[in-house]
This record gives sequence, structure tokens and C-alpha cells, in this order.
Amino acid sequence: MNTWFRRVWHLLNRSRRERELVTEMNEHRASMHDPSKFGDTHRLLEYSRDAWGWNWLDDAMQDLTVGVRTLIKSPSFAITATLILTFGIGLNLTLFQMIRVGLLNPPPVRDADSWVRFVRASPHSRTSTVPYPLTQFVKDNSTGVLASVILEYQSGMGWGRDAGEQVNASFVSSNWFEEIGYGAAHGRVLGDALDTRAGAPVVVLSHTFWRNRLGADPNVVGSIVYVDRKPVTVAGVAAAALPGLDFNVPDMFVPITQREYYYPQSTLLRSWNDEAVDMYARLAPGVSAAAAREALRTTMQAASAEHTQIKNDEWLEPLLAANNFMRDDERYAVLAVISLLGALTTLVLIVAAANLGNLVMSRATGRVRELGVRMALGARRSRIVRQLVIESVPVVVMGALGSLAFATAAATAIAALGGFPPYLDFSIKWGTVMVALVLALLSLVVVGLLPAWKIAQQHLIDAVKDGGQNVSRMLDRTMMRRVMVVSQVAGSCLLLIVAGMMVRSVQRAVASSAGFDYQRAAVLSMPLGRYGMPVDARRSYWYQVKERVLANPEVEAAAIVTAAPLGGRVNETNYNATPGLRTMTQSVDPEYFATMQIPLVSGRMFSASEPNTVIVSRRLALEMYGTVDVLGREFPVSAGGPSRSAADEAKLRADQGTIVGVAADAHSIKVDANDVAELYRPLKVEDFGEVELVARARTDADRLLPILREAAMQDPRVIPSARAMHEDFDRHMQGPRIASALSAGIGLLTLALACLGIFGVVSYGVALRTKEIGIRVALGAQQPALLRAIVRQVLTPVVVGAAIGIVLAIPTGMMLRSEPFYLENADPIAFGAALAVFAAAGAAAALWPAYQVLRSNPVEALRHS
Amino acid sequence: MPKSNGLPPGTLILLILRVVRQEPLHGYAIAQRIRALSSDQLSVEEGSLYPALQKLLANGWVKAEWTTSDTGRQVRSYRITAKGLKQLESEQDDYQRMADAIAAILQST
Repeated sequence: MNTWFRRVWHLLNRSRRERELVTEMNEHRASMHDPSKFGDTHRLLEYSRDAWGWNWLDDAMQDLTVGVRTLIKSPSFAITATLILTFGIGLNLTLFQMIRVGLLNPPPVRDADSWVRFVRASPHSRTSTVPYPLTQFVKDNSTGVLASVILEYQSGMGWGRDAGEQVNASFVSSNWFEEIGYGAAHGRVLGDALDTRAGAPVVVLSHTFWRNRLGADPNVVGSIVYVDRKPVTVAGVAAAALPGLDFNVPDMFVPITQREYYYPQSTLLRSWNDEAVDMYARLAPGVSAAAAREALRTTMQAASAEHTQIKNDEWLEPLLAANNFMRDDERYAVLAVISLLGALTTLVLIVAAANLGNLVMSRATGRVRELGVRMALGARRSRIVRQLVIESVPVVVMGALGSLAFATAAATAIAALGGFPPYLDFSIKWGTVMVALVLALLSLVVVGLLPAWKIAQQHLIDAVKDGGQNVSRMLDRTMMRRVMVVSQVAGSCLLLIVAGMMVRSVQRAVASSAGFDYQRAAVLSMPLGRYGMPVDARRSYWYQVKERVLANPEVEAAAIVTAAPLGGRVNETNYNATPGLRTMTQSVDPEYFATMQIPLVSGRMFSASEPNTVIVSRRLALEMYGTVDVLGREFPVSAGGPSRSAADEAKLRADQGTIVGVAADAHSIKVDANDVAELYRPLKVEDFGEVELVARARTDADRLLPILREAAMQDPRVIPSARAMHEDFDRHMQGPRIASALSAGIGLLTLALACLGIFGVVSYGVALRTKEIGIRVALGAQQPALLRAIVRQVLTPVVVGAAIGIVLAIPTGMMLRSEPFYLENADPIAFGAALAVFAAAGAAAALWPAYQVLRSNPVEALRHS
Repeated sequence: MPKSNGLPPGTLILLILRVVRQEPLHGYAIAQRIRALSSDQLSVEEGSLYPALQKLLANGWVKAEWTTSDTGRQVRSYRITAKGLKQLESEQDDYQRMADAIAAILQST
């Protein structure tokens, strides 16, 4: 038997073992002629305990009991301390949970290691989607490399007999469920053999859709439903835990081979250049992603030889499931943002721990006399340190437990608010518990060890003589206390500034949305390509719809545009002449400006018959030409530097045009971005592949929706969808609004912590110096001078802390400049506001206790001592 | 650990291991045996046997079991283990080396 095991066994049976030992000794004693020679059984028992080596545990238990007892006696401290740590650790745990679910774990598909997503790549471009015929070509010509090819094409479709509701449908290859590894909750899922092109049309509903929209009706299996007005049979309901490959689970799954049942003229399954699908694959056993890429180069060249749409320098780039199908640069960008958020939440923990450490130290200084007595009785310093550390263990343990609850609640709330699909599992796992333990240990160092070590260093025995006055004063002036105040102030200042910047970026988005009037606007979309209309037929159809819309008296204006505000596909260019500025190009009807109420600053509208004219936004004019006086000039300004390829050259030529007007800034596409400008061109025939119609109501945007839908349904095949723009705006701003509210909340809470810290330090200092203050008042000192003397103690640390916070806020703001936060770097208003708030709160926290003591007539204190 | 009453430090354990080598003994018998073997020269405070025995138990050098003594009392007798035998040998060697060294110094004048 192992020695350790034996000792633990002894510990577990200790009371019985000790009873036996006492019996044994008593027996021995009774057998002796002179029992007095045996010795004292109590003492011998104590020595025997020593032999098993568990005495330290007894001491620790004693200290723990003392700790728990003191906590019970001061419930307000216990609750405050627990809450502070719950908040500090919990915030970090929440972030960790998010990272664990969203970044560290691949989607929970069967055999995730073998999954890749293929994007179409060439030396100059990357496209995330692949033409359907190419996927089939690759599938047929890659034996031994790919075990299977899995396809998805997400699309909005009409639901119900009149197609009145929109649902998110995914056209998937029929091996989807088998490869992902999930079956049906009811009925069956899609299967290769059953769901062929010629098979009976079926859909599989997602569990969430079935539960929320169909009331979890089990009889739905086998019934007929209408999708884009076509009757289809519900084959089954997917399992609740079915994961999505891009964090999305659609409302329903439709076999991609049956697409032509819905859109007989759709070219999706035949065209090598039109619409395109997301292509996933499982690698054959033993084939690495890199090997697959090289092997498929040959396949791609073969495809290129047969089909001109595939260039011979193209290849398929595999993205791993282990990286959540993200490109490395996307992953690094996400990681950078997350590590910065991690740094900020760590900062909250540091502030919280420093605050609590300060509190613990103040409380312990009240006990220097007791500790002095213990030392005088022979306790060693290490024993005192151990005692003080162990006493703070219950607080840390409660904080850690609280933080786990906090993280669970927060993750659940975020998942609910963000509408995350149910397969994302935010329950507490061992990893999370380990992180909580590590953070708890780190806080124990700050909350328990540092103050204990500092206290034990003092001449505690002297404290017995003067009641602890001197030692308390020494402790009050230690560097550590000041460092703790500095870190609290710096942390809360930085967090306040970041919160201020986030609030400002939301404000800016709202303000920039004033550049176009979305309140009374609505958008109509109809994917005409599905019905096999050639592009020029689409154009005439769109203009017919526009006329019908304009004929309604409720409609004030209407325009066709390639990308409606707050959504739509937009062409984004970085011109050499304007580094760091993203130019969003929209092709628009001349009426677009009136519809969206975007004023022209100068010049005139273009007309549809002037293909080589452009209208630039004010900012684009200023950044590219340095002036708004740009009418008649060529766009873009001839940029220096060689063009990279013939393709780029051609694109540049196509971009060229003469500036006929300058429009006011309207960040209609990316409302919260701070690095965008707009460029408008007249609509060309080829733009009608994908356009939308925006309309402006005379009274209320919601009234437009039936008008728009009605106008679009001239051709009975067309299933349009219409939405009010304010819904888009609210949806778009929801994330930033929640983020800025959260950050403001966190900023204010840490501010409260820091103020509590300052308050604690000052009031404690005042309590120690009541006598001195009394004497000074008795000698006629003036109040302002006294206040200065009292507050001076915290002034330096606060100023130093605030300075550190400001300095750190500048790089933080710069790192959060791009998506998704769009912070202004060194936004003076955010800085000023944060500092003003901090100065006011900090001054109140410092002056309040000082003022209190002066008001209470400190001379009184002299009479008592 | 208790102060050894006249015994050089650590030797009590050596003595206990030595006397339980032949046969399992209970505490009282161990004390008796030590006294008898030393011709009453080593007067041990008998109680201090027990912390030493606990140490032996903790290290796995002896095993204890309850039996009834010749006089009909419930006693716990201690039996040496293989590990204990090894320990006894090494302690005996150490002690011998130490005693020889001390003797050599004392006889050197």
C-alpha cells in the first residue's frame, strides 16, 4: 500500500483510529505497576497525530472555521466581496464560454477532422461559393481524395399557400444529414436513395421552426405544406441538436436536386457562371487538406479545359472544420478582437481583486493587535500569513461558484438575445471550471496572499503595546495600497473610455443614418433569376413594377438600386488614391436620391442614358481630390503605382467616369462604419441580375408593404418580399446597441468599484488620524487645508492611475477601429466625458469621508483618549 | 515527537523494529521486551512507545491487528512487514556505523 494512500485512509478513519489508540494506551497503563510512568495520554495522542502528518490540515481547518465565522459575523462584507468576485471572474468566464463554443470547438459534426470547406481561389481573388456543375465535376473526378461532397445553398422562400411569410430554406445535397451525422426527431431526414431529382418533392423542417411555428405538431410528418406556392410533403423534422456549418440552422431543408420543381427555369444546377453554392467535403481517410488541394488542381485544370468559365490558374482552397471553416486572416482578426476583449475583462478582474484586496487589508489592520498577541505567544510569521490567506478562501470560493452561475446566466441570456441556434451548447464544461479555478487562485493571491504577506512583515509584537496604532499607520502607507488604488483607477478609467467610445460609435451610426431617411422607406426584392428570365426581361419587369408602385397615391417616390440601404450586395473598392477608405459603389436610378432624401451638394443628377457618369459623396471628393469642387473631373483620379494585372486594368477602365454631381454623405450600407464613402453610377442592363426597389411613403412605411408586394406579382410565378427599412435599421443596430449598453454597464460598475476603493482608503486613513485631525482643528487649522491634507493620500495614485488609463485607451481604441466595433481612435469627446464622470465620482468618493469627519467635530475625539 | 528518555534520537524506532522482528507483540510486551533485553538499563517512558508505533504504522513498517492477550485483555499486536525489515536493516547499519565512528573518536586519545 502506498504511503500516501495509507495516510489518506487514516485521515478518513481518524476518529475511530484515535479511539482505538486511546483504548490501547489505557490498557497498557492499567497493566503497569506504576501507571504514572506511562506519561500523559493527551500529549501522547497529539504526538501520534504528528506521526501521520495531518496536523497542518487541522490548523487549516481551524483557520477556515475562523474565516467562515468572521464572514457570518459581517454579512455585508461577505456579500460585497462575493459579488465583487462574482462579477470579476464571471465576466471572464462568460467570454471564455463564448470563445469555447464559437472558436475553439469545430461544429459538432460527425468526424469533424475530415471536414473542409472549399472556396474558389485564383491568384487575385477568392470566392466563397462554387458553381453547382463544378462541384459535381469535382465529385466525379476526385476518387480517393474526397470521401463525399456536401452542398448548401441558402435562400429565402415563401411559406404558406399564399407565400405570405418568408422562411429561410437551405437547398442541400441529399447526403447532408448522413454526413453531419444526425437523424430525425420525427419522420425521416433526407437520403441519397429517396430524394432524387425525380423523387416526390419533400422538405425536412428544422426542430426550432417546427416547435416555434408549427406548435410542435407531430402529425405534420407526411402532410402537405406550401413552399414558394408549391405543394411539398414534410418528410420529417430534424433532430434538435442538428448543427449548422456556418453557425446558422435554416428553417427547412430542401433537396438541391429538386430545385427545378420550384423554379423550372432556374439555371442553378446547370450554369457554370451564374449562381453558386457553398461546397463542403469530407476528405478520404489519410488525405490531408494540403494534399487534397494539390490533387484537385489537376481536376480544376481538367474542368478549365472543358469550360471557359473556369480559369486555368484557379484552384479550390480547403478551409478546415477545426478552424470553423474560417480563413486564417479572418481567424486572426477574430482572435485579435477576442484577445483585446479578454484583456479588458481581465482588467475588470484586476480592478475587482485589487479592490477586494484593499478591503481585506483594511479589515486585517483592525486585527493587528490580535495578530501581535499570537506572535508574542510564539506563532511564526508563516503561520500568520497562512491564517490570513486561509481566512479569505471562503470568499474566493463563493466568488468562483457565483461566477459560474453568472457565466451560465450571461451565456444563456446572450444566446437568447442573439437568437443563437440551439445546438450551440453553453453549458458549463470542465474547461470552464478549470478556468474559474485558475482565476480564483489568481484572485486569492491578490485578495489573500499579498495583504497577508504585507501584514506579517510588520512588527506585529509592537502592536500589542500601542494597540496597533503604529502598525496600522505603517500599513496604511504601504506602497501596495497605493498600487492597488492605481490599478483600480487605471482599469476603470480605461474601461470607461472604451465604453464611451462604443456609445459614441452607436451615436455616430444613428447620426449618419440621418444622412438618409430610412423611417418612411421600404424595400422590395424579387429574385427574378430563379424564374429563368433573361436579364433584359428582368429590366423591363422591374420598370413595370416601379410604374405600378408609383401609381399608388401612398407612394411619394421609388427607385431601383443594386444595394438597398442597410443590406444588399455592394461593390467595395479600395482606391489607391484613398488608402484606408472603403468606397461602396451602388448603381441607382436618378430618383434614388429623392427617395432616400439624400441632398445633392453640387452638380446635377445623371440620367439613365449617361453610362460614364458618376456621383461621388462629399467625403469621397474630399479624400480623393482634396476639394468638393470636382464637377467635370475624371473618376477615379489617375492613381500612381502600376496596376497588378490585366484584370485589374479592365476593372479600372470599367470604373471610370466623369463626375457630374456631389451628394451629401450617407453611410447607407454600413451605417456604423467610419471608413466608408459612397459612389453612385447609373444602372446598366447587366445590373438587373440582382436589384431591389426602394420606395418612400407619404405617411407610413408599413403601409407600403402590401402595395409593393401587390405590384410585384404581375407575373404569377414571382414571389416577392417586402420589408420596412426601419426594421432593417433596428436589426442592424441591435448588436452595437447591446454591446455599447453592456460596455457602459461594465464601465460604470468598475467605476463604482474604483470609487469604493478610494472611499475605503480615505475613510480608513481618516479613522486612523482622527486624533491628529482633532489636534489640528483645536489648534485652529482651516477646513480647506485639512481637506487637502486628508485627500492628499489618494491624490497621487488617482492621478497616476488616470494617466495610465488614458495612455492605454489610445492603442485600445486603435485596435477596435475596424469591424465590428468601429471605434474612433482617441475620440476626444469620449475621453473627456469618461474623465469628467470619473473625476466627479472619484472626488465625491474621496471628499465624502473627509467632509464627514470634519463635520462631526473631531475635537471630541481628543476628550475620549 | 517526544523527547527520547535517555535514548539517542531515532533509536526507539530501531529498538521497536528489532523486538517485533521475531514475533508480533503488543505495546506492553514491546516495552517489557526492551527493558528485559537492555537489562533494565534503558528506562523508556512507556507511553512514548505509542507515537513511535504510529509512525511505524504510517510508514507501513509494521501492521497492527486486534487480538486477545494471554491475560485475556483486548490488545493490538504489531507485526513487522517486509518494508519494515528492510528499514530495520538499513537503520541497524546506520546505527552501527555511527556507533563505530563515535567509539573510534572516543578511543583516539
